[in-house]
Amino acid sequence: MSEPEASTAMRNADDPFLARLQEAVGRPGPVNVARDPVNQPMIRHWADIIDDANPCYVDPDAAALSVHGGIVAPPTMLDVWDKAGVQMRRDGASPVGAVIDVLDAAGFTSTLATNSDLEMTRYLRPGEVLESVARLESVSPEKHTAIGRGHFVTWRTDYATVEGEHVGSVLFRMLKFAPGTGRVDGPSAAGAHGAGAAPPPDPDPSRRPRPAINADNQFFWDGARAHELRIQECNACGALHFPPSPRCRDCGSFSMGFRVASGRGTLYAWAVPHHPQVNGFRYPVLTGLVELEEGTRLVANLVAMAREHIRIGMPLELCWLDSHPALEPGAIDSRGPITLPQFRPVRPARCESTRSVTELEVGDELALCPIPVSATLIVGGALMTRDYFDVHHDRDLAQRRGSRDIFMNIHTSLGLSQRYLSDCLGPETVFRDIRVRLGVPNHPGDTMTMSGAITALDRATGEISVSFRGTNETGDHVTGTAALVLPGGSEHDAIRAASAAAHAEREARS
Amino acid sequence: MTAHAYAGRTAIAGIGATEFTKFSGRSELQLALEACVAALDDAGLEPKRVSGLTTFTMESNPENEVMRGLGITELTHFSRVHHGGGAPAGIVQLAAMAVNEGVSDYVLCYRAFNERSGRRFGSGVQDQPAGASAEQAQFSWTSPYGLLTPASWIAMFASRMMHEHGVTSEDFGRVAVTCRAHAATNPKAHFYNRPITLDDHQSSRFICEPLRLLDCCQESDGGQAILVTSLERARDLRQPPGVIAAAAQGMGDDQQMMRSWFRESLMGLPEMAVCARQLWETSGLGPNDIATAVLYDHFSPFVLPQLEEFGFCAPGEAKDFIRSGEIALDGRLPVNTHGGQLGEAYIHGMNGIAEAVRQVRGTAVNQVAGADSGHVLVTGGTGVPTSALILSNDR
Ligand SMILES: [Zn+2]
Repeated sequence: MSEPEASTAMRNADDPFLARLQEAVGRPGPVNVARDPVNQPMIRHWADIIDDANPCYVDPDAAALSVHGGIVAPPTMLDVWDKAGVQMRRDGASPVGAVIDVLDAAGFTSTLATNSDLEMTRYLRPGEVLESVARLESVSPEKHTAIGRGHFVTWRTDYATVEGEHVGSVLFRMLKFAPGTGRVDGPSAAGAHGAGAAPPPDPDPSRRPRPAINADNQFFWDGARAHELRIQECNACGALHFPPSPRCRDCGSFSMGFRVASGRGTLYAWAVPHHPQVNGFRYPVLTGLVELEEGTRLVANLVAMAREHIRIGMPLELCWLDSHPALEPGAIDSRGPITLPQFRPVRPARCESTRSVTELEVGDELALCPIPVSATLIVGGALMTRDYFDVHHDRDLAQRRGSRDIFMNIHTSLGLSQRYLSDCLGPETVFRDIRVRLGVPNHPGDTMTMSGAITALDRATGEISVSFRGTNETGDHVTGTAALVLPGGSEHDAIRAASAAAHAEREARS
Repeated sequence: MTAHAYAGRTAIAGIGATEFTKFSGRSELQLALEACVAALDDAGLEPKRVSGLTTFTMESNPENEVMRGLGITELTHFSRVHHGGGAPAGIVQLAAMAVNEGVSDYVLCYRAFNERSGRRFGSGVQDQPAGASAEQAQFSWTSPYGLLTPASWIAMFASRMMHEHGVTSEDFGRVAVTCRAHAATNPKAHFYNRPITLDDHQSSRFICEPLRLLDCCQESDGGQAILVTSLERARDLRQPPGVIAAAAQGMGDDQQMMRSWFRESLMGLPEMAVCARQLWETSGLGPNDIATAVLYDHFSPFVLPQLEEFGFCAPGEAKDFIRSGEIALDGRLPVNTHGGQLGEAYIHGMNGIAEAVRQVRGTAVNQVAGADSGHVLVTGGTGVPTSALILSNDR
């Protein structure tokens, strides 16, 4: 996209295929009028699946008192309203559609969305009907990417109401690639281990050292098998002990039982082994000393987070890893099945009262937020954003296209990013833009952990910039930035006044 | 607390070591015998006069083979101390007690291994044998999660130290830089002539965050032996005696093996505090009487709480003590003048006792002024059940 015009022209001269692809660059397509107005049922379904409890989208009373003066659509739904239905009829006159047809015919049949930059002039209200015009921005020369050979296709869609008021735009980029032409290894595996290096250890957790289970700690490992975290408790005096002992050091009793822990705790200390590397682990290994709310501590792996997310004092919650199958049927000692406690960040409480720009600083970090990725979220998210590509809902077809399972579509990633930011900063956070880039896919069973920080801030206007990322076990799924407006500066008040004026005008009209 | 009976009445009369290498090319038993012979030569004592042997439970060379190899025909005392690197001053204390009780006249304390070319401790415990003794069960709380090496266990303390006491990776680095500076002028040190800078430390790779490669001691092949006898007999031998002014072992409340993470606080080293209290109370000495110290440095972070537990600085202030250069040769308390285990060699702390002997004799390569007329502190392994002693010149 940033290549000098001259070199593009030179290459095109001896690449007729590329020249054909780039023929329509810069040409706008026909006007596309949304089939339905912005409407509450679709908003509600979207908010349900994204698990976004922001009342501005669904609660008329709360929304009326908000900066928006009434119900608004989630801003990342901007490019959902004009989407074609499941039949995906494409207008032949569209330059974007034409390029995609050419690429499909040339064998670049697979599609992967990579970027989406949304700019919102204002929020949309139920009843408004949108029309859009897409303009092909660029088609790249053939690139050899990790998932295959293909061309990046970029287009910009401008949105307006049918009355002609510009409300926003989306710059969208996708890779059209030939299935089966990718590298065998994912990009992370290729990067971490160069030629000649020892192969990485097998991360299969069943290869980890097994715990030595004896009469003194049997209760703990039995509990783990039942996904129950047991803390030794003295039957006589109630004292809790870790590690367990046959005798209570407080009262001397040999009668020892246990209490089931709530699973909530905080990080007390941490260590991240890099070397030596042994089978059973993915390096670097995140380990933490977790202080349970009952008062005892234990060691466990820290999951659903990256090294840079580790903070002493961070709230954590229990989850489980069924790490080892039984070596002998029926065994309950070290040869039995093994389950290990693990701890992940806690989804933070939704911020209900929007943060003022006056209380924030550049560099402030947003709380970590783990998002469990289920098939329901992936399928529901795709359908709620009118994305019917089979890779988002049909596992057989996704696997035939070379994926390990269905994967999340970019609109769901956008929606989750938006929810994350407004849950951190408050329901009346106003989005001016949000730009995302996708990396590794989110598959069912993954946990994507969102993190972010404030990168710029204007106290006078209340405008802030944030960067954020959503990371799963294999790397960054989504990285992005957003421009937001918070209370405490002039812009939020201006948006409130404009919303009130728009409502008054609508009232007057009706 | 009154003085231990052996204190001031027993002494180290000889020290001997093999060369310290990464590949000895010979058996661990040969290393043990060479070290013992060297200690006896240093003292000018016939091997057959030795009637006691003390060592570590981790030692692979049994007393009977060492005895046979040395040509000793009768042993009246042989005993061992458990818990790895925590043992060195402990086995000297055992020897001193045996001597003072009249059980043995001359006791050799020895430790020898091919820790680099043979089984490396740094490779971790993933090959722990199956079984579920109370000792093996301790690993259940850490090994399945990937905390398999001593470095990984110390790292857990280090992260908390950084959080609670404001210690930085650079502070750990300053310990390593100091030890390597001392090793650079010690021809016997593996890192002779090879000092490092703080930048070298900061750019060394992570072994287990927050620990870097240069926070970790070496892995070495070698042997070290120490000859203990009564002060009276030592005076008749070839070298000036290193008088055992005090010695102590220590375990603290809720003690674990390098993984005492379930105590109220992870700051400090309660087991070392038990040693410090005994040393000061039984000897009548205090931090101001110590000319130089050999502080166990398998990993740089635990040098800090040792300075605090012995009262060289206040709790939480070791980083400031180190930042202002007090552990360097021209500082208030020169530490690890031989280069420590970070710089000279990792012989489970036994080479540190030999260095203390050289300091009180006045023969160290980095001799500290006043040490040969004063007192030298040596500590054993940190984070484990441990030991410490004070040596004094015989004047
Ligand atoms: Zn009790």
